[in-house]
Amino acid sequence: MRTIISRMPSGQIRSFGPSIVAIAILIAYFSIVNPLFLSYENAGNIGRQSSVLLMVSLAETVIILIGSIDLSIGALVTLTGILSALTVDALGIVGSMAVAVVTGAVVGLINGVIVTQLRVPSFLVTLGMLSILSGIANQISQGQSIIFENQILPNMMNGSLFLHVPNVIWFAVLTTVIFTLIAFRTRLGRYLYALGGGEIVASNAGVPVTFYKIVAFVISGGVCGLAGVMLTGQVGAGTPTAGSGLLLNAIAAVVMGGTALSGGVGGPHRTFLGVLVIAILTNGMDVTQVNSFTQDIVKGIVIILAVSLTIDRSKYLFIK
Amino acid sequence: MVVSATPSSAVRATSMPASTAPSSLALELRGVSKSYPGTKALTSVSFTLKRFGMLGLVGENGAGKSTLLSIVNGTVRPDEGTVAINGKPVRFGHPSEAARLGVATVFQEQGLIATIPVYENIFLGREKTFSLGGVLHQPRMIAEAKAVLDELEIDVSPRALTGNLSFGQRQLVEIAKAFAVARIYPVEPVILLDEPTSALSDSEAAKLFDGIRRWRKKGSFVLVSHRLRDVFAICEEVVALKDGCLVLQRGIDEVDEALLHQSIVGRERNAFFYHEGSQREPEAEIAVSAAGLSKSSQVQDVSFDLRAGEILGVAGVLGSGKSMLAKLVAGVEQQDKGMLTLYGTPLKPGARRQAIDLGIGYVPAERTIGGIIGTDTIENNLTLPNMSLIKHAIPWFLSPSLSRNLTKQWIGRLRVRPSNGKALCRTLSGGNQQKVVFGKWLARGVRILVLDDPARGLDVGAKEDLYALMREMAAAGAAILLVSDNLAELIGLSNRILVMRNGQCSALIDAPKDAKPREIDILPAML
Repeated sequence: MRTIISRMPSGQIRSFGPSIVAIAILIAYFSIVNPLFLSYENAGNIGRQSSVLLMVSLAETVIILIGSIDLSIGALVTLTGILSALTVDALGIVGSMAVAVVTGAVVGLINGVIVTQLRVPSFLVTLGMLSILSGIANQISQGQSIIFENQILPNMMNGSLFLHVPNVIWFAVLTTVIFTLIAFRTRLGRYLYALGGGEIVASNAGVPVTFYKIVAFVISGGVCGLAGVMLTGQVGAGTPTAGSGLLLNAIAAVVMGGTALSGGVGGPHRTFLGVLVIAILTNGMDVTQVNSFTQDIVKGIVIILAVSLTIDRSKYLFIK
Repeated sequence: MVVSATPSSAVRATSMPASTAPSSLALELRGVSKSYPGTKALTSVSFTLKRFGMLGLVGENGAGKSTLLSIVNGTVRPDEGTVAINGKPVRFGHPSEAARLGVATVFQEQGLIATIPVYENIFLGREKTFSLGGVLHQPRMIAEAKAVLDELEIDVSPRALTGNLSFGQRQLVEIAKAFAVARIYPVEPVILLDEPTSALSDSEAAKLFDGIRRWRKKGSFVLVSHRLRDVFAICEEVVALKDGCLVLQRGIDEVDEALLHQSIVGRERNAFFYHEGSQREPEAEIAVSAAGLSKSSQVQDVSFDLRAGEILGVAGVLGSGKSMLAKLVAGVEQQDKGMLTLYGTPLKPGARRQAIDLGIGYVPAERTIGGIIGTDTIENNLTLPNMSLIKHAIPWFLSPSLSRNLTKQWIGRLRVRPSNGKALCRTLSGGNQQKVVFGKWLARGVRILVLDDPARGLDVGAKEDLYALMREMAAAGAAILLVSDNLAELIGLSNRILVMRNGQCSALIDAPKDAKPREIDILPAML
């Protein structure tokens, strides 16, 4: 991680600043108000509460990096969570995970193909897909939580293999590392940045633009499937409302981290910080007993403030 | 040859009338200069436009026409000099002020909103005139718009949805808008037409010119155009810019097309600048063979052979199809008909990947759109088409050290500044960006380079580096197709020059190093 960071352009390191400052201020404030905030247990809570959000935010990062947007990720987590809850007893953990990941990837494939072949803006395609997926999820579950017998899945997600850190956190952190490696050390990663930064330049340089766009959507969908399984395991059931809050938080985390909505700038490592800001803020307000309606208001204000500090305006001609 | 600037107004305009009586000059510029970092866009430009006059403003890309227009319409503040519109000096910094004095610009990219009716576009931003307590008097707006359109004999309904009009009609609406706005203040309109015919068919252009002739006594016009025949068709006077300097202002009867072209592009060609001494004889091997290439109406039945070690220049005015020819050869666009063969291998139409694999590098004309990713680093731009050169021993991975070394090597060879491969490309000067674009192909070891106006907008030093590089590549056996707007550059660098006119090849002119053609030998085939 260190060497990766040291090899990033200086401009990127500089724009880490605001999220790190935000994190420091939040930690200082909450630990003064409630000293328990700084405890080891609470750190574990923050991690547990934000692992799924981190996975989903990584999935969204890939899409935003290429200059598109995916509004269907939250609904996809819900659907794949329900599917894994339905199948885990019959197919076992590996089987249900496969169902969730393949479903996610197929949905991503459909999104990607419609965006690139029918040339419909990703905003609209995924908005439609959001509705379709939540419809399917509700239909399958009849609006009820899906309960399952299997105890290995919950244990796997909530248990801890190393250092008393819950496994969900390991999964999410591992995914962050893998995504960051992909972003900076593979052809795929460099192509994703190129697509977002200058699609015509990439195409002139012989990059199969359509293929890589679809790949981005497929990867993103697959990771959402994984996030669905994680969520189901954590909760111990598949619920039709599980993913509802994820979409807005994920986009906020990605943008706060410093990945520009116009594409080509930022990356998974930044999203990690963005998620941390949201997670600390949410948890901090919980432990300092801010009521949940006020929490929404504060979160909204912090998001607008953070984005107005971090956003790279040089690529925008107009702000719409 | 250089025609010296002798603006006839220099003596006359010492005292400007401050009254509201119409001035005899619609537009008067005195000593206008403007610099941008690295370039001097305009150097002490002075000229006048008579009331109800029709002035042509000509010059090649980068001559300063756009800057001049922006200064007159108030969007750019000059470093020095004064501008007076209808006898009133312009205080700069308020684009709306120039409009209040009567100036309106009709841009190439049109400034109308497609989703609202014509009359709303005509009065966009002036709704106040028609509003009472915030409520618009629509019937009066429509009637007023109709009156203007009728007076100008423009056959467009004020209620028509703007997006449903043809390009030519929209242009007429923009001119009507200028008249309508001038009526409100009231002033006599001074209308700046920026390349008005570039997107029009011949009949639409003729219609536009008919209109302008009819409107002679209602307003003053400045026509900016690449097409000299447009200028000859309707202008009374012509002003030519070259490299930011005014090189000619004369009555249209006192110039002909060749003289005008000379004063626009004519340069003392410096044989050293283009390294003409090191121009080599092409090898026997044919690198690119084009047979009957056609693409809609833009390129029609063009054939040529380009040999290894040769620089083949492509000349032509804007819209002659020379850029499209470059795109076809590079495999970026797909031809309708015809065949391309690269070193004996037929290229599938529009197969960019295959073209790259066969060794074609392409430097597009729009550097920031097609050549360089501004948000990315020099390293990532340089390595974009070169992933196979920086593979890591671990499958799927790229080697950071190979990537870094490749970048360092080409930054060094091309003397890119800054030399830090992690610098973001948008912070680089145009010349250094262009070096990076070249570098990404050179790093691949390309055998064919397709260059579309590679030196456009670069300063002299950067050009010199670029020309030296092209000679070096040709010496190493690369075949170069050089499309350019700059005739001196084409003559200086090319072994042969293919001239295009209206999509067709109108001439193929030899340019051996000891018997270079003159510009005047090439011009007739272009015009």
